[in-house]
Amino acid sequence: MNHEPIVRLEGIHKWFGQNHVLRGIDLEILPREVVVLIGPSGSGKSTLLRTVNMLEEPTEGRVYFEDVELTHIRTNLNETRTHMGMVFQQFNLFPHLTVIQNITLALVKVLKMNGKEAATRARQQLEHVGLSDKADSYPSQLSGGQQQRVAIARALAMKPKMMLFDEVTSALDPELVNEVLNVMQQLAAEGMTMVVVTHEMGFAREVGSRLLFMDEGVIVEEGEPRAIFTDPQHERTKTFLSQVL
Amino acid sequence: MAAVVEARIPPGRGLRYFATNQNPWSWASLVLGNVTLLFVVAGTFLVLNAFGWTQVCPDGAAIDQCARTDPLAAGLTSDGLGMVIGLTLIAGAATAVVGFVSWQRYETKSAKEATIIGIVLALQGAALALFLWWFRGSDVDRFVRNFLDIALLDKYKWGDIVPTFLNGAKNTLILSVLGAVIGFSGGLLLAVFTMSKRAVVRAPARIYINFFRGTPLIWQISFAGLGIVAALRLDLSPYTVAFTVLGLNLAAYSSEVYRAGIQSLERGQIEAARTLGLGYFQAMRYVIVPQAIRRVIPPLLNEFVILIKDTSLVSVLGLTLAQKELLGVGRDIYNSTFNATAFLGSAAGYLIITLPMIGIVTLVERRLRSGLTSVVGA
Repeated sequence: MNHEPIVRLEGIHKWFGQNHVLRGIDLEILPREVVVLIGPSGSGKSTLLRTVNMLEEPTEGRVYFEDVELTHIRTNLNETRTHMGMVFQQFNLFPHLTVIQNITLALVKVLKMNGKEAATRARQQLEHVGLSDKADSYPSQLSGGQQQRVAIARALAMKPKMMLFDEVTSALDPELVNEVLNVMQQLAAEGMTMVVVTHEMGFAREVGSRLLFMDEGVIVEEGEPRAIFTDPQHERTKTFLSQVL
Repeated sequence: MAAVVEARIPPGRGLRYFATNQNPWSWASLVLGNVTLLFVVAGTFLVLNAFGWTQVCPDGAAIDQCARTDPLAAGLTSDGLGMVIGLTLIAGAATAVVGFVSWQRYETKSAKEATIIGIVLALQGAALALFLWWFRGSDVDRFVRNFLDIALLDKYKWGDIVPTFLNGAKNTLILSVLGAVIGFSGGLLLAVFTMSKRAVVRAPARIYINFFRGTPLIWQISFAGLGIVAALRLDLSPYTVAFTVLGLNLAAYSSEVYRAGIQSLERGQIEAARTLGLGYFQAMRYVIVPQAIRRVIPPLLNEFVILIKDTSLVSVLGLTLAQKELLGVGRDIYNSTFNATAFLGSAAGYLIITLPMIGIVTLVERRLRSGLTSVVGA
């Protein structure tokens, strides 16, 4: 395994107004790792995830992606972001475009592929998430689980080096959660580097290669998921796990 | 084994169902109400038509000699119309009685609806009759001569006498379309400025918007046309000044519409676009604006309807005869005939232009509401 970290966070602080959300985070993510972030709501896990691709600019501290400092003023974030796919809780598909247009938009406009190549790649990705027959549907015609799989396909079509998942199953009906988790599990098995914010403890345990427990803007505990689930070291971790398990 | 139940048409729909669920009293209420309203409308029309709407003019007669509306005034004050009014009121009262009886004994929803519909129609008919009765008591003759002289209007419709309403309508349309081009494009630009995160970009846009929204359009037009252009001796025709100011004014109003439309989109849309590597302007162009446009089309069309009517304010600039818009044409005719019926022609012209626009607004809104997003093509 390559031990050069793909992402490095150094001394990250984030304030929203007077609200100190991230209080000094240092984190390195290695290639092929599946890092799972858990913690109570308001603990800053989503904000931390969003600083990785600079959707939230940290107030203090530095973010590196493959030795490029993203927090540097002259870094071209648009270029960097093509290497980091992101999937959101609310899917955020573009409702005015069909499924295939959702996927090809960035391929054509950002990666400058021609329409034919882009469509071919988009269809491959749709097949990957099991939605080949939905290419010409509009997002509003799909179920929540299908929309989220399209969102994953849209991110994967950019051939990113890592994927960020922000509570991607939280807005889904219970019976649709597994179809999305299965896609993510398959992705992890293929060796994709992933950072996952989730409330699915089963997924965290089975798929995660490293678990981070966050509370009040700091990483309280980290380690091998099974170890933390069976034997949490910190009081706060114990309390949290006893409430969610 | 799961029972398979076939889908059925819901009960209680359609005219036949409505008809089979009535009782004699509800039928009577419904029929009487319809008769009352129909009678007053048709009766009034027939009486007035029998007397005639306006004097018939021999060709070549001067307008002031022949544009008389004595027949209309005579019809309005005739005993025949008085009879129509009286009978309508009696029918209305009868409907009220029948409706009241029916109200106490209906047993189905359809019967209740028929009773209510009958009473409401009768009330509308009675209100119309009362209005006519009140109108007959006033100085009908003078009103009709000055405001409903239809023969005079006819002369100016397209005819050879300058100015014509047709020419006025053409100018109104040109002014509003040119104004709309400036206003709708300028408005989008302004909206983008007002949403900038930088105060130095936002401030001038806000000053512009507040200035144009905060002062009367009629002052803006006269200040630009008489003040700036005339005093500074710029080589601009009043016509150019007119549609430019109309456009600048519309830009201020439409920018607020655009802004509301863009801000009504979820934050996640631009975030999703940016995480795919699209730049700010790419995200705006391919993701945000296409969605926002769909939401703002109805309010923008409303702004356009307002603009059409505001073109009447350019008359302060003193346009030439050929440049006059609808209301200006009306005013010119009034000035030469001293008959205010001319403005009725202007109003009719505006309605002919604005009613289809209002219809389009309703249509677009209905399509937008009906769910599927693709209204302007994808």
